[in-house]
Amino acid sequence: MKVCISSTGTTLDSNVDPRFGRCAFFIIYNTDSDTFEYYENESRNTMGGAGIQAAQKALENKVDAVISGSIGPNAFKVFQSSQIKIYTGVSGSIRSAIAQLKNNELTQTAAPNVQSHYGMGR
Amino acid sequence: MIISVASGKGGTGKTTVAVALAKSISYCQFIDYDVEAPNADLFLKPDIKHINNITIKQPYFLTGLGKSFKACSDFCHYNAVAAIDNKVIFFSELCHGCGGCILVGPEGSVRERDIKIGEIRKGFCPPGINFLMGDLQPGSMRTTAIQNELEKNIDHDNHVIIDCPPGNSCSMVMAVRSSDFCILVTEPTPFGLNDLIISIDVLKNLKIPFGVIVNRFGIGNDEVFKYCRSNNIKILLKIPNDIEIAKYYSQGLSLIDFDSLWKNKFVCIIDEIEKEVSVK
Repeated sequence: MKVCISSTGTTLDSNVDPRFGRCAFFIIYNTDSDTFEYYENESRNTMGGAGIQAAQKALENKVDAVISGSIGPNAFKVFQSSQIKIYTGVSGSIRSAIAQLKNNELTQTAAPNVQSHYGMGR
Repeated sequence: MIISVASGKGGTGKTTVAVALAKSISYCQFIDYDVEAPNADLFLKPDIKHINNITIKQPYFLTGLGKSFKACSDFCHYNAVAAIDNKVIFFSELCHGCGGCILVGPEGSVRERDIKIGEIRKGFCPPGINFLMGDLQPGSMRTTAIQNELEKNIDHDNHVIIDCPPGNSCSMVMAVRSSDFCILVTEPTPFGLNDLIISIDVLKNLKIPFGVIVNRFGIGNDEVFKYCRSNNIKILLKIPNDIEIAKYYSQGLSLIDFDSLWKNKFVCIIDEIEKEVSVK
C-alpha cells in the first residue's frame, strides 16, 4: 500500500506536518517494500486552494492512504472522490506514523478536522 | 464632484458621516460601496425601485464522456478545478470566472453558465437623494464584481457621496478610485491612527486629495491630532463622543436629525472640499 504523509522534512525522522495543504514535503511510503520517496509541496505558497492542489497531486501518485495532522474541507472533498483512507490528528515522526498504520493503531477520519485556511495561520 | 468616505479601521463612523453629508446637501447621489455589509439604507430609508441581479460566468464540466479535464486543473491559478481521472471537483467559491478552463479543456466539454453573486438596488430618498447600493450574496467572494457594477452607475453630473467598505484593500481602492476627494474618518485611538496612516498611504498612491474627520473626539489620546499637524493634514471636523449621538444612531437617525447645527458644518465641509478640488 502507498501512503502519502505530510512531512516537515525529507527523512523518516522528520515529523508529520500538522498542516496538509501547506506542509513542507510529502513522503510517499510503500508499506509493501518499506521504501519511500519524497517531493516538495509546491502548493504551499499558492494564494488559495493549496489543499486542493496538494490532494490532487497525491491522488496522481496513486496513493491508497493519506496521513496528516489536519486536512481542511477542500482537500477532504478531493480525497473523498476516490476511495482512499484518510487519517488525521497524527503527530510525531514519520517512522512512528508508519508503525502505527501497520499496527492498525490509526483511526480513519470521516470529516475534515480543520476549517479552510487553517494552514495559513488564521 | 465625487466624495468618498473611507476608514482603515472599521466602526469609526463612515456611514454616520456619509449619511450626514448626503442629508446636508439634500440633492446628490449616494452609493453604498460596502457590498459585504451595506447598512446606509437603514439611515436613508430609500424607496427601492429597481433591483438588478449581478451574475458572473462560471464553468460546468460535462463529465461522463471519459475525457480528462487535467488541462483545466493545471491552468486554473486559483485551484478551483480538481481533475482526478475522469472526475472533476469544482470549487465555485474559488473560481474567478476567467473562462480559461473552457479554452484549454476538451472541446465542447466545458460550458459556461451565469451564477448570481449579488444585487444592486436603486432607490430614492426625498427630497433629492438618488440611492444606490450593492449587496454581495453570502458565501460569494466577488466583492469587486459588484462594485464594478456600482461604478458603471456613478452619476458624474451630480454630487456623489460614496460610503466605502472598511479597510485598505481591493474593495476600498475600488470605492475611492473614482472620487475627487476622500474623507477619512478615524477615532483618536492608537488603532484609529495606525489604520489612518495606512489609508493615507493608499490615497497618496492613488493621488486622491483627502481630509480627516475625527469621530468620538474625547476618547483615547491626541496622537491623531499630532500626526495630522506634523504632516500638514487637514482635520475637517471633530464629532464628540456623545451618548446621545449614539442613541440616535441606534434608532436609524442621522447626526442631522440629532441637531440641525451639524447640517451647516457639513455644508461648509463640502464647500471647502469643492474649493480645494476646483483649484486642482
